Amino acid sequence: MDLLLNLTVNGLATGMLIFLLAAGLTLIFGLMSVLNFAHGGLFAWGAFSGVFFYGVTGSFLISVIGAVLTGIVLGFITEKLIIKPVYGNHVQQILITLGFMLVLSEMLKVVFGPNQIAAKTPDYLSGSWEAGGVILIKYRLFIILVGLLVFAVVQFILKRTKIGLIVRAGVLNKEMVQALGIDINKVFLYVFMAGAALAALAGALMAPYSGVVYAEMGLEFAILAFIVVVIGGMGSFPGSLLAAILVGLAGSYMAYFVPSLSLAVNMILMAVVLIFRPQGLFTAKEA
Amino acid sequence: MSRLLTLENVHTHIGQYHILQGVSLTAEEGEVTVLLGRNGAGKTTTLRTIMGLNPATSGTIHYGGQDITKLPTFSIANGGIGYVPEDQAVFTTLTVEENLKVAMRKEDEAAMARQDYVLTLFPDLKKFWKKEGGHLSGGQKQMLAMARAFVNDNRLMLIDEPSKGLAPIVIESVMEAIREMKKQTTIILVEQNFSMAAGVGDTYTLIDDGETVQSGRMEDLVRDEELKRTYLGIA
Amino acid sequence: MISKLQGKNFWLIVIAAVLAAFPLFSDSRTMTILLTQIFIFSILAMSYDILLGYTGIVSFGHAMFFGVGAYTTAVILDRMEPTLGMFLLSIAAGMLIAGIISFIAGLLTLRLKSHFYAMFTMALAGLFLVAAEKWRAVTNGNDGFTFRAPEFFQDRTMFYLTALGCLIVVYLLLSRFVASPMGRVLIAVRENEQRTASLGYKTLHYKVTASVVAGIFASLAGSLYSVSLRFVNTSVMTMDITLDALLMTIIGGVGTLIGPILGATVIEFAQHYLSGLARDYPIFERWIIFFGIVYILAVVFFPQGIVGWFRQVRAKRSGKRAAALKAKQPVLKAKAEENG
Repeated sequence: MDLLLNLTVNGLATGMLIFLLAAGLTLIFGLMSVLNFAHGGLFAWGAFSGVFFYGVTGSFLISVIGAVLTGIVLGFITEKLIIKPVYGNHVQQILITLGFMLVLSEMLKVVFGPNQIAAKTPDYLSGSWEAGGVILIKYRLFIILVGLLVFAVVQFILKRTKIGLIVRAGVLNKEMVQALGIDINKVFLYVFMAGAALAALAGALMAPYSGVVYAEMGLEFAILAFIVVVIGGMGSFPGSLLAAILVGLAGSYMAYFVPSLSLAVNMILMAVVLIFRPQGLFTAKEA
Repeated sequence: MSRLLTLENVHTHIGQYHILQGVSLTAEEGEVTVLLGRNGAGKTTTLRTIMGLNPATSGTIHYGGQDITKLPTFSIANGGIGYVPEDQAVFTTLTVEENLKVAMRKEDEAAMARQDYVLTLFPDLKKFWKKEGGHLSGGQKQMLAMARAFVNDNRLMLIDEPSKGLAPIVIESVMEAIREMKKQTTIILVEQNFSMAAGVGDTYTLIDDGETVQSGRMEDLVRDEELKRTYLGIA
Repeated sequence: MISKLQGKNFWLIVIAAVLAAFPLFSDSRTMTILLTQIFIFSILAMSYDILLGYTGIVSFGHAMFFGVGAYTTAVILDRMEPTLGMFLLSIAAGMLIAGIISFIAGLLTLRLKSHFYAMFTMALAGLFLVAAEKWRAVTNGNDGFTFRAPEFFQDRTMFYLTALGCLIVVYLLLSRFVASPMGRVLIAVRENEQRTASLGYKTLHYKVTASVVAGIFASLAGSLYSVSLRFVNTSVMTMDITLDALLMTIIGGVGTLIGPILGATVIEFAQHYLSGLARDYPIFERWIIFFGIVYILAVVFFPQGIVGWFRQVRAKRSGKRAAALKAKQPVLKAKAEENG
């Protein structure tokens, strides 16, 4: 019982981090059919800048804010310099975003050095609680909380605000949105920056969770996020949460019970979804 | 009366295809101009070119004295042009209310009053206020698409085949709405159903193979059997 | 046209002859190793271009075929006798396995849209990498293992000539392949898949074929690579290998066979000299950044790479406007219409 609970908490925490990454990917894809292969680079930048700001200021809160701001700035640059010039051409987009991923992760090594860096957990989030004989690690619960909070906030924006309404309409038919007098490119820039901010947030939260940050973490997590986006349905925001939890839990249980198959399970899940249900498990919309 | 919209010798390419090969037309303020022509003649592309969705490759489009040929779609729309596409393009997972809200440029009292007025033209929409666009019937979708374009105080409405695929009784109420809208705005209408076109149109522009063949008053066309036979296949 | 083609072939023969004779008048070990490396990566990049440049498919999993070849050869030479026969057998085995994998993967996923396919291959290659890390009994995990190469290759020159020979053979085979009716259909798929399908071609069938051809030659490159090092570890399965192939193809020029060879040459030389500079200027440690930036600029402004640029310059000089226009028509932009 104890074990299952802990595995579940682990899985949920990892799932939430993947969700933060996948949320941006899926909205960006839904709105502009751009699949951003550099998204993992933004995640890694979030992780490194989080560690950096934490080291400089000693405040975890400021480090997270700093990471998110870094994400926003990088998101702005990425959209303007990388995505915009090749907008509308899928092959070029795929190629250029992967190239930018390479540049982003090499730049990390230039700025922060080529080695992995240790990341600390703030005191007030270290350690664990014991409730009824069950040990719960604080930081993991914190991540789950943040993930749920982000989900609620984004969901509120999507459902209750004008910009959210425009994003949802844009996912369905961006041509019509423009014909209604909305500058969809501006909306897309905002969404892209928001997605980058979420990726950077995920990175900043990931750093204390894994204890170290390294340039390759971007690619590793991006692959998980791609799997989630496919399973959840490209463009579906709630789908990405469900799929991320599924992938996080599957990874966590499998890592304990059948360690050699932990990544394979998610891959196979993705392959099955791609082949039999390319629109995703949690969406009725045609992909 | 003054000219609201003028297309002069407009050419449009889509990919490698040369779709419009010299379309010229004018729309007078307060009138209904009907675009006529066979399937594939370029009527829909003409509307899309005006909206900037398939930008003109040459020629000019003037609207209210301003050259809008090269403007992006959203600026053209914000200049006061409402567009009702052929497939209606209702936002399927948004409710009727949300569909209208996306379109509203402002949400002040005047805008709300305008919305109430538009809803008197399409009373069905009021009934299905919280229903998702995808769950509406074909006729209701058409109404929603028109209401969405009309919820702003637009000076010009581009309406693409509103009768397509609708039952005769529904067509009648759609036409009734267009007649009502006509009192407020200028309309360019693409319509295959000639009797319907003749019923609401003031002027017509005949397009064939991507080119304007003839324009004139609707009553003249109604009498011109030969023109109708040659280009519209009606005797 | 015919005389021009002959001119091109003439120069290629001269270059091949000079390269073959190179060991006779130079005993620079570094240069021999560098050139061998270039030959191997040229094969990899050419195989990648069959997908990217000729068929318009973006795969991010090419490393797995390279890795399959590298491991197959390494394991066979290690477990069996390190003889020339075993070497040839291991190459064949690697190509067979790679062919089967690319056939199955292609059949299942090549019907997907471009971004799904890119994503899927990336994840699949990630899975192969993890498998190579975990299956320690065979691969010895991250640490990898050394093995003995056939006696015949003790002399580096012999291996140099073998790699050169392989490059020439692969170049000739692929030249025939892309000029064949099959190759023409692949180009048609790249230009407009829907139209090709509407002409009655089973485009999936052709795309799978392209993916199998690309896979088996990538495996050959991998086999040669591991023998050149007499060592293999998980690095042969990493994204870096795919990125190398991608950079070489894009910078050299997609949609040609010479382009990837040129790209491999430029990048290998640059890597060699720039990482040499890194001892004095640490920034050159990150030499790949320059290529990343060049690559991005190439994708946007020069989708035809060095070859396209060269063609344009030559066409301008001889005033052949038609040729210039042809060179300007970027392969990568071919799909813009369909998506826009």
